[in-house]
Amino acid sequence: MRSSNPAQPFPANASGNARTASEIMARARGQRYYSWVLKILVWLAALLTAGVILLMVGYILVTGVPNLTLDLFAWTFTTDNQSMMPALVNTVVMTLLTLLIAVPIGVGAAIYMVEYAKRGNKLVKLVRLTAETLSGIPSIVYGLFGMMLFNIAFGWSYSMLAGICTLAIMILPLILRTTEEALISVPDSYREGSFGLGAGKLRTVFKVILPPAMPGVLSGIILAIGRIVGESAALIFTSGSGKDNLMLGKTGNFFADLFAPLFQSTRTLSVHMYNLMSEGLHMEEAQATAVVLLVLVIAINAGSAHLAKKLTANGQG
Amino acid sequence: MKKILALMLALTLVLGLAACAGNNDQSETNQTETNQTEDTAAPETGDETAADAETDAETEGDTAAAMSGPITVISREEGSGTRGAFVELMGVETDEGDMTTVDAEIANSTSLVQSTVAGNSNAIGYISLGSYDASAVKAVKVDGVEVSVDTIKAGDYAVSRPFVVCYKEENLSELGKDFVSYIMSAEGQAILSEEGYIAADDAAESYTAAGLSGNLSINGSTSVGPVMEVLAEAYKALNPDVVIDVQQTGSGTGITSAIDGSCEIGMSSRALKDEEIAEGLVPVTIALDGIAVIVNQQNPVEDLTSEQIQKIYIGEITDWSQLG
Amino acid sequence: MAKFKETAMHYVFLLTACVSIAAVAVICVYLLANGIPTIAEIGLGNFFGLTWKPSQNLYGIVPFIVGSIYVTAGAIIVGVPVGILCAVFLARFCPRRLYQVLNPAVRLMAGIPSIVYGFFGLMVIVPVVQQLTGTSGKGLLTASLLLGIMILPTIIGTAEPALRAVPQSYYEGALALGATHERSTFTAVLPAAASGVMSGVILGVGRAIGETMAVIMIAGNQARMPGGLLDGLRTMTSNIVLEMGYSTGLHRQALIATGVVLFVFILIINTCFSLMKRRSET
Repeated sequence: MRSSNPAQPFPANASGNARTASEIMARARGQRYYSWVLKILVWLAALLTAGVILLMVGYILVTGVPNLTLDLFAWTFTTDNQSMMPALVNTVVMTLLTLLIAVPIGVGAAIYMVEYAKRGNKLVKLVRLTAETLSGIPSIVYGLFGMMLFNIAFGWSYSMLAGICTLAIMILPLILRTTEEALISVPDSYREGSFGLGAGKLRTVFKVILPPAMPGVLSGIILAIGRIVGESAALIFTSGSGKDNLMLGKTGNFFADLFAPLFQSTRTLSVHMYNLMSEGLHMEEAQATAVVLLVLVIAINAGSAHLAKKLTANGQG
Repeated sequence: MKKILALMLALTLVLGLAACAGNNDQSETNQTETNQTEDTAAPETGDETAADAETDAETEGDTAAAMSGPITVISREEGSGTRGAFVELMGVETDEGDMTTVDAEIANSTSLVQSTVAGNSNAIGYISLGSYDASAVKAVKVDGVEVSVDTIKAGDYAVSRPFVVCYKEENLSELGKDFVSYIMSAEGQAILSEEGYIAADDAAESYTAAGLSGNLSINGSTSVGPVMEVLAEAYKALNPDVVIDVQQTGSGTGITSAIDGSCEIGMSSRALKDEEIAEGLVPVTIALDGIAVIVNQQNPVEDLTSEQIQKIYIGEITDWSQLG
Repeated sequence: MAKFKETAMHYVFLLTACVSIAAVAVICVYLLANGIPTIAEIGLGNFFGLTWKPSQNLYGIVPFIVGSIYVTAGAIIVGVPVGILCAVFLARFCPRRLYQVLNPAVRLMAGIPSIVYGFFGLMVIVPVVQQLTGTSGKGLLTASLLLGIMILPTIIGTAEPALRAVPQSYYEGALALGATHERSTFTAVLPAAASGVMSGVILGVGRAIGETMAVIMIAGNQARMPGGLLDGLRTMTSNIVLEMGYSTGLHRQALIATGVVLFVFILIINTCFSLMKRRSET
């Protein structure tokens, strides 16, 4: 196929071909034309992408910023102020609790796969396969599954805990994969050195291997935070749409205040925006919420970029 | 072979570009116009009206004389209380079931119906009167009767439905009982009328706080939900030790949850069916709500008969010119 | 004692590794255990029929399957050429300065919640399509455009590193044979990165088919076989979210079964993905 193409500029048997000068010239012109078209297309595609991003960010800011009012950040939600503060607080709390579950499991699994399992272990292959499967499942399917397992079978009804568990399963593959890669990139000489000095496996893992892999693990966590913040489809069926600020103690009993919110319905910022748009009458608040979400995403991205820079600096140093 | 591939790639790209580029330019003008109109437009309509105003400017010439063009029918999703009440009252639901045309666009919320109609001069939709925003869309008269609190109360306006709370007697706590009595009191009914609904009981007695405490879970209709939250807040102001959790999941879920006991009080935006009452539910009608039939503000149509609306929704009338 | 701690931790790590296996197993079991009896109860002919009218016990989801496929195909047509070319641009054409701006921008795009995309589509793309075509503006075209935009960062994010990973010698070899910069990139570098680019496309397909919150606002959601480019349609995902809140009994079960069908689709796509990866590795 390749050699049969007459426009091919560098045929394999060029030396065997007798060619006239004009033929060569024509081909060169053809190639110039072809290159020119390609160049234009590539630039157009890039411009288009950049244009779409600018348009989106611009639109969100232009429509949203004028609607940002102090009322939207009132500590408690009322039907008058439609405050997003409870949703914001709950987003932070849910993110932290989700990470609390998913990070130890994800990191532990990665440690097992890289440090403990033998090469070509069947289990490792299976874990990789399942992690890939998990990362491909759409969030709406997670939502349905979470609803059936946690809300109905476990009888938690709409609760923060159901949302957290669903999200934890959802971000598990992300953390597992990034940690695995980070651990693999730690040079074997570290391990050999540590063993050589007589350290045990456990000590080697925690004292020698994890520290240099930390930036990689952290960037995985940041990706996971981004995913949690943006999630809505998996949450509307699991954690519902409770509006109260769950972090305001109600009973005065420390333990009750600590654990009761877990079994109450709550909403994150994305779900809050979805609900504002669904209920009608609150489009300005929805636009303002979009701005806050965008700012959150930018902050998360900036954080991960900063970490990536640190990671490369560490790798060199 | 490669050349052909490259060519195809180029072609699809150019097509894509043509579509998107047109888009970008258009949206940019759209955006700037949004900015300009934002100052003048009423604050609660925001962009819908801006986009709408733009459409209007273009279509004004055509629509001035008589309305024509394919009707974009907007309906709510299957199972929605608003849809249930609408199809029943308008005769769209026959013995064979809900005959709403399959060509109807489905919106899963009141706001989506309203903003779609606001942005499309050929659209028709229906929403709860409490959510009707006169600066965004136009409600048409049904059989010559304008939709308003008075006409519904007088029974002249045909398209109205009850807002119902329901509970099982044995599941209802003291707190639940007190909350229901609050809704039916003069104060509760006043809140309902303030929000644009029609109070069920004009001569209700005044409520005195019982000073109860505890948790109360309410679940159900997304139409009743917003006003229920206002009621819950007002109730909490009187009874500060109470926690009320209002979940908006839909009439169907609300009724089932009330039956199976996963919530104390269910909310429904349609009358309860006989088999639901047979399960032991006690329905209390807390208010009446009109369903406004809405069209775009540029649409010259002012008045539709219920027969016309029915024909539009079962797909017999598909063009505005057919209305004569 | 130290020995005991070592073995104990070994098993703890082993246990954590098994969590993701368990999660997939539980998800599969739960979805299938709920889905298959429902499909059996509804009847295969009914469930894979053409009419969805829950009030009349008609639960045909074929229109939604077709809708999902159409929308995904549309997103591919819009997003893949632009995405691949943009990845080529970032990897081979982009001036360094511009790259420092464009790369974070593309990553920002990947992080924007789908609900914000939906909002953008509803407020910007829908009115434009409506004016250009004279229809309601919601439908296959709008959904394809928006989803095409949404899968851009996925494709770019996977294809660009793959392009960068191609050894410089490929490019230099082509240059030495007299090809231009563009020609070397497209005939030597791009084919060498084909498997990476393809996995980006497949990831994009997965995102497009599973997208929910954005599609629901702009696709029209008519429960019928999708017609032309401008007609509205409903995807499997939007069917679930649209009616879940109001459904009870068999209707609810049918929606969960829709989710199961979607899950099976995703499994097929994932299998393609890992097969392709395995082929490129050997």
